[in-house]
Formats: sequence, C-alpha cells, structure tokens
Amino acid sequence: MATAAWVQQRMAQLRGTRMWRSIFRRGPARTNRTRSLAIFGNLSLHVLPVKVREKSLGVRATYYLGSISFFLFVVLSVTGILLMLYYHPAVPDAYRDMKDLIYVVSNGVFLRNLHRLAAQAMVIAVFWHMFHVFYRGGYKPPHEFNWVIGVGLLLVTLFLSYTGYLLPWDQLAFWAITVGTNIIGYVPLLGRPIRFLLLGGHIIGQNALLRFYVLHCVILPLAAVALIAMHFWRIQKDGGLTVRDDHERDE
Amino acid sequence: MSETNKYQVGFGSDATKDPRRIVFITRKTSAKVKGEAGPQLMSYPHLILREAIVFQVLTIVLVAVALFWDAPLEQLANPLLTPNPAKAPWYFLGLQELLHYFPPIVAGVLIPTLVVLGLVVVPYFKINIQGEPLWSGNWRRRARILIGVLIALFVLLAVYHAWTVLVPTVLVTALALLPYLKPSSSVRFMKFLRSRTLPWWVMTWFIAAALTLTIVGTFFRGPGWSWVWAWS
Amino acid sequence: MAADYEAKASEKPESKSPVNRRDFLNEIAGCALAIAGVGAAVVTVEYCEPNVLFEPPTTFPAGSLDDYPVNSVTYIQDQQVYIVRTEKALWAMSAVCTHLGCITQWKPESNQIACPCHGSKFGRNGHVEAGPAPRPLPHFAVRLTADGALEVDKLETVKETEILKV
Repeated sequence: MATAAWVQQRMAQLRGTRMWRSIFRRGPARTNRTRSLAIFGNLSLHVLPVKVREKSLGVRATYYLGSISFFLFVVLSVTGILLMLYYHPAVPDAYRDMKDLIYVVSNGVFLRNLHRLAAQAMVIAVFWHMFHVFYRGGYKPPHEFNWVIGVGLLLVTLFLSYTGYLLPWDQLAFWAITVGTNIIGYVPLLGRPIRFLLLGGHIIGQNALLRFYVLHCVILPLAAVALIAMHFWRIQKDGGLTVRDDHERDE
Repeated sequence: MSETNKYQVGFGSDATKDPRRIVFITRKTSAKVKGEAGPQLMSYPHLILREAIVFQVLTIVLVAVALFWDAPLEQLANPLLTPNPAKAPWYFLGLQELLHYFPPIVAGVLIPTLVVLGLVVVPYFKINIQGEPLWSGNWRRRARILIGVLIALFVLLAVYHAWTVLVPTVLVTALALLPYLKPSSSVRFMKFLRSRTLPWWVMTWFIAAALTLTIVGTFFRGPGWSWVWAWS
Repeated sequence: MAADYEAKASEKPESKSPVNRRDFLNEIAGCALAIAGVGAAVVTVEYCEPNVLFEPPTTFPAGSLDDYPVNSVTYIQDQQVYIVRTEKALWAMSAVCTHLGCITQWKPESNQIACPCHGSKFGRNGHVEAGPAPRPLPHFAVRLTADGALEVDKLETVKETEILKV
C-alpha cells in the first residue's frame, strides 16, 4: 500500500520533469481537449477521426470486419518478418529452411502456422468485408472512391497470398504457381512478356522464387500500407462510417 | 424548388476563430445514404478501446487455432512430376473449376477482368445508389430485359456444360421470381424477398456462383479433375 | 532603334499572343519531366528483364535410333519429351500439356497421353482427343548427327509433317 503510494508519487514527479514533457506533450487524456489531442496529435492515430458516431461502434454495424482485416495484416507482417530471419529465397535452401522452421527452430512451427492461418483468414475477411460493405450500401456517395481503393486492396491481398504460396517450394507451391502463371500467359498481347518479367525467365526456378519473395515481402506490403492509409483517411474525410438505419437492415 | 432551398446557412466549423465565419452551403444534389445523424463519442477512448479488444480477441483465436492446426508441407518441388490433381490455393479453386468448362482465355482472363471491372464501377451507377426493389416501379420493362439476359446466360452455360454455375444461377433466379408469383404473401421471408433491389440480386447471384465453384473445386474434384463425391 | 524599343515596350505582354513565356516554360518543363519519366520506366523494365538465364539446356542428345523400338512411345523424364517411333517415322513431342503447363503421362493401356490436371487427352501424334487443351502437343526438331546419334532441339518447334523417316 505504502509502496504503491510511493510509486505513484515518483511517477507524478517523473511526469513533471522537463524531459518527460518534451516527449509526451499532451498530458493525461481526461478532458475532451486532451482526448482530441490523443487522436489528432498522434502520428499514426490521426488517420482516424476525433469523434465517431455511436451507432457505428456496435458490433452488428460493421462486425469490425475492416478492423479485423487490418489487424490480420499486422499479425502477418510481424510473423512474416520473424519467418524471414530463417528463410533463404534460393532453390535448394527454401525447402530446407521450411523443414528447419518446423522441426528445429524454437516455436518455428507455431509462427509458420500462425502466418499461414492469418493469411487464409485475411483473404476470407477482406471478401466478407467487401460483401458486407456492399450490402449496407457503404459505397454510396460520398464514399465511392473508397470502394475503389478497397477493390485495389482486395487485389493486393490476393496477390500477396499468391506470391507467398510459392515460397515453401514444395509440390503444392510449385504446381499451383505453374497453373497460375500459365493463365497469365493467356492474356492477349501482354501476357507472355508479363509472365517473363514475373518469373525472371521462362521457367519457374531460381529467378522466379527470388522475384516472388521480393514482391511478397517488399513491393506488395508497401502498396498495401499505402492503400490502407488512404482507405482509412478517406473514411474520415468523407464523413465517417456508413451505418444503415435499422429498418433497412438485411441480416 | 424555390430559391431559398438552394443554400443552407451555417457557422464555420472552427469555433476558436474570432470573428466566427458564416458559410453558405449549396444543397448537395447527389444521393446520400440515410442514417447519418446520431450522437457522437470521442474516438479516444470509445473507438480505440473497442479496437484494442477486437485485436486481442482476434489474437487469442488465431493463437489457439495455430497451436493445433499445422500448415501443410508436401515433398520438395519437382518440376518433372505433376501431382494428380494439381490444385491452386483454395481462393483460386473456383477459378480452376471454371477453367474446366471454358477456354483459358475466357475463364482465366476475361471473366476475372470483368468481375474486377464490375466491382470497381459499382458506386458509379445510379441503380446501385437508388434503393428501388426489383419488383416495384417500372418492373415489367426491367423484367423483360432481365429475362432476356437470363435466357442468354442459361443457353451459354448449358452449351459449355457449366453445371456448377448453372445450378446456383437457377436457384437464385427462382428465389428472385418468388415475389412475382406470390405478390400478396405476408410471410416475413416473402416480404424480405420482395424488397430486394436488383444490385442485391446480382451480388447474391455472384456470391452463390463463386461459393459453389469454390466448394466443388475444393471437395468434389479428384485426379484428372474428375468428379468425386466429397464423402467417399 | 529607340523607336523599335518604344514600340516593343508598348506591346502588351499577354493580351492576344498565342503563348506567353510562363506557359511556354511550364510546357517545356512538363515535357522534360515526361521524357525523364518515360526514360526511367524503360530503364527499369529493361533492368527487370534478365539477359542471362540459368536454365537447363534445350538441345540434348537422345541416344540412337536403336534405343527406340518400333511402335513405341518413350518418355525422357529429364527433358519432358516423348520420342515416338512408328514403323516408318520418328518424332519428338513436348510432354507439357498445352492447357496450363502440367506434365502429361503416357498411358499405353488406352493408347493416349493424359494430363492429370484437367483431364486433357492427346494421341500419339499430339492431337487433342479430349479435354480442355487448346492446341496439340508441339513437335520438336529431331536431327540425326553424322555418327548416328539423335539430337532434339526444344527451342525449334516443327510441323507434325516434318518427321524423321526411318
């Protein structure tokens, strides 16, 4: 009891120091002003609006599907970066590293399972999110362009999942990508050149693995982050989440 | 509409500025979705706390499943040996099933392009903004066009033997026709069907077809892409 | 001289002249940026297209004529090629299905080459007999070298009428 009071007093002292106040500018978020600043003055949070409509906070309004998609992306990024520490994107090594992760590395099998599970879940979540936004009319003016950004995010998600699928370099991966890249080859005019660029050659080999790795770990995540930021920003700027009136609800 | 309805008058939103600004807001002419009014709450703490809870629940569920469900790893990739069957990831299996019926340039390029384009233009067509039910208003003309399109679709699907797409199409069409056959029924389900808009029916058809294709591709296709019963 | 100067000075700089200096300079800057942008894109795409490929060689020796019995279909696994020999001819065919790239298998019991992915079936001559494959299996050039050895070139596809007559 006395210790708790002592700690509290020291903390209060710390918070009064110049050093503390140089890092944490706003003070505790207990007034509406400081609560606004908690959002508005924060580098990552200021993409969210300072106020939200109470109706949009209910579970049945959005089922938090958009948030879930975003959080799955965060989980995938964290697990993905950790998996990168043991994975070499080279033809004999890749499969060996997968075995390494599963049987040798501490908690490797768990991280790999988490990564793959979150990937499947994210594909389901973004589709479900899209269908739910459609059914509640969230694409209607003034949110039209945000819907288009969302379709872009859907394509980036599918492409991320597809490029990641090759990385284990097992039979499942190799032949799934064979079929997929041959379909791309059927696009008129540009199909074969795009396939050549994507694979870095004519066959699925060393170059293809490396390119898919760079796409999966750098190019597509950057595109995803940019689109996600735009997607959140547009919600704020276009007037907040769309919530259907109760009498219009479908489900 | 009289002149006085063209503008709304209000105060500028920045309350700290002195003097306050008066703004004239032109009446917006585009349709807006209803239900925008209502009490507002501070994002911190109300939204942030809820998002934190969602994240924690999600993490718990993911970790619990990941502890027990192992991701698969087959043998080393062998470019000389194609496994039988060779299946794409599950979210592309619907497409692979479609490839079984139509030539690759149709099922692999044309249809996905049309789907993506169709999705992108959704907010820019007036019919998706108005909430008019399918069987109200000028439904006779709409029905005639719809029947024409549906007959062409049925013929196309039958010619290509695309049963996996034909069956859900027929089912959804039957559901859509139900309000026409029973216009005065007061059963809640019938009232629900009667109030559905055309975009609603098109999206429901798309989801039904895509789901059927994916389920068939995942569980009902075996070696050589031959039909197998999922439970055998 | 002075009169010319005064005349020029009295001209209004932007009244009716077709292009004023600011717009002209802006246009030049825009074109320069566009050229730089296109150049950057071309350089990047050229960079991404590899000039040297480390892929297995496409011309390979295929033994000699005696290795292939009459009326047989032999699958060379390393190269994914079928060598078909009839009484009067010999030809080499790709074993890669023309539908989506899976490796086909020769089925002697049904006298067909079958693809496991979507059920395409080909005859000994490569013609499509069933399934969604859009084209017949391509034939590769087969050459008989001076010392009687066979050589197959996978880069050179030939018409199916060009067969080695034996």
